[in-house]
Amino acid sequence: MAQNSASPAQKPGPLRTFLGSETARWLLFATVSVGAWEVWARWYNAPFLLPAPSRILGEFAKSPTLVLTNGWVTTQEILAGFVLGSLIALLAAMLLLVLPKLVEDFIFRAVITLNSIPFVALASLVVVWLGVNGIGSKVAIAALYAFFALVYHAHKAMASTDVLKEEVLTSYNSTFIQRLRFLKLPSALPIIFTSLKGAAMAAVNGAIVGELFGAFQGLGFMILDSRYVGNTARVFLAAVFCTFVGWLLLGVLAVLERRFVGWHLEMTRQA
Amino acid sequence: MSNASATHPNPERSSQPLVSVRDVSMVFNTGGAQTIALQNASLEVAAGEFISLIGPSGCGKTTLLRLLADLIQPTSGSIRIGGKTPEEARKSRAYGYVFQAPVLYEWRTVLANVMLPLEVMNFPAAERKQRAEKMLALVGLEKFAKHYPWQLSGGMQQRVSIARALSFDPQLLFMDEPFGALDEITRENLNLELLRLWRETGKTVIFVTHSIPEAVFLSTRVVVMTPRPGKIETIIPADLPQPRNFETRETPRFFEVATAVRESLRKGHGFEVVE
Repeated sequence: MAQNSASPAQKPGPLRTFLGSETARWLLFATVSVGAWEVWARWYNAPFLLPAPSRILGEFAKSPTLVLTNGWVTTQEILAGFVLGSLIALLAAMLLLVLPKLVEDFIFRAVITLNSIPFVALASLVVVWLGVNGIGSKVAIAALYAFFALVYHAHKAMASTDVLKEEVLTSYNSTFIQRLRFLKLPSALPIIFTSLKGAAMAAVNGAIVGELFGAFQGLGFMILDSRYVGNTARVFLAAVFCTFVGWLLLGVLAVLERRFVGWHLEMTRQA
Repeated sequence: MSNASATHPNPERSSQPLVSVRDVSMVFNTGGAQTIALQNASLEVAAGEFISLIGPSGCGKTTLLRLLADLIQPTSGSIRIGGKTPEEARKSRAYGYVFQAPVLYEWRTVLANVMLPLEVMNFPAAERKQRAEKMLALVGLEKFAKHYPWQLSGGMQQRVSIARALSFDPQLLFMDEPFGALDEITRENLNLELLRLWRETGKTVIFVTHSIPEAVFLSTRVVVMTPRPGKIETIIPADLPQPRNFETRETPRFFEVATAVRESLRKGHGFEVVE
């Protein structure tokens, strides 16, 4: 018989519902951790090493446009890099499905080799090739990071679909595009979404690393500059802004995940 | 259904078989050793028949079904389905295949699963929905259209899989132990349901099973197969009156046919001991 996931006998009140919600848990986490940080930093009293959250907030109040303008540059790099890198990774993962085994093997060795080069070295090279000015080189580095975080898992997930599920489509005389559309892509989506979250974090890192190596704007540049002048609070401010951008991206992905692979979340919850 | 008024299918073979298997052998190379999965199998099936392939594991019954469906290709011999090769038959979507497991797509609702072949075959959207709903009603699952497969029991999932195989109205239905994993009570109910479907649709069914009562109860003829090497031992007509019902299993004729199948299986087994 059909089962619906068991629900508690009585409906909890609005306060209980709120306390159980994702928002409430984040608020609780933020309050406790920021509070503890504030207390610890004030007691330790070495703002050059560990500025209190209130001091970081003060730094923001002093010149909000500094972090906002630099943050906007980095946000653009992260978003452009993430979208570009993920799209190329997904296309490559699909393309690898149709290439002859020998070519697939060759390309995978290349991917693994590139992946073993320290990313920082790769990033500095990209800056050399694409230049310090503008956001181009930083977008490229963020894209590179995102690409490598996604391509392998996406390909593996699409290449290892259930043999019986493939045979079902074979018996209908399906084309490759149909197998991709009806089976490979949807069955790989749960893994793809998990990897996309990793790719988003990688893109954040990539953009910052790129800016550390060569930029005159952006949060990475702001971090370097603030460190030179000994303003640790401003380094923290840049880092906190980065965290917010990362969270925003993860939030969007979580919404998309619920929309496109809600079935998987529900299925695993029920199992 | 296109053929709702079909009279009881004629168990006697017509002059032109729908399925014809001639001297078909299948040899698998597994790690240097050769396994003869099927040796010189010959079989003719008339339109409207219900044929069971029965035998122990390794007798080649699933191999034969997969050969008919062009999921594998024979080492030698020839197969014709309505005058076409299995590949042509598959490409013209002549058959529906029901696997041992339901093999439903977890990300699709029950209705969307039944619509899958229709989407692959580019049926118009309105017709897809209409056909799928009709099929679900036929297997008694119209109320579960919006459920996901993993919210259903095993028996219900297998019914969805049968609805999916029938949705594009193929002439032929290949079924590979579809009820093997189900309990006896569910299995007997689904057997009756399958016979009703068969009567109502006038399809030709080729059905693989391990169970003697199931084979005798369902079939117009039972093909007894024996292992090592896999081959067809005998073909036994199951000439029980139609339509069959719960009482059919209690008639003397049912026991006679079942006994004949059992003895034939044992005879095949005897060869294995000599070897």
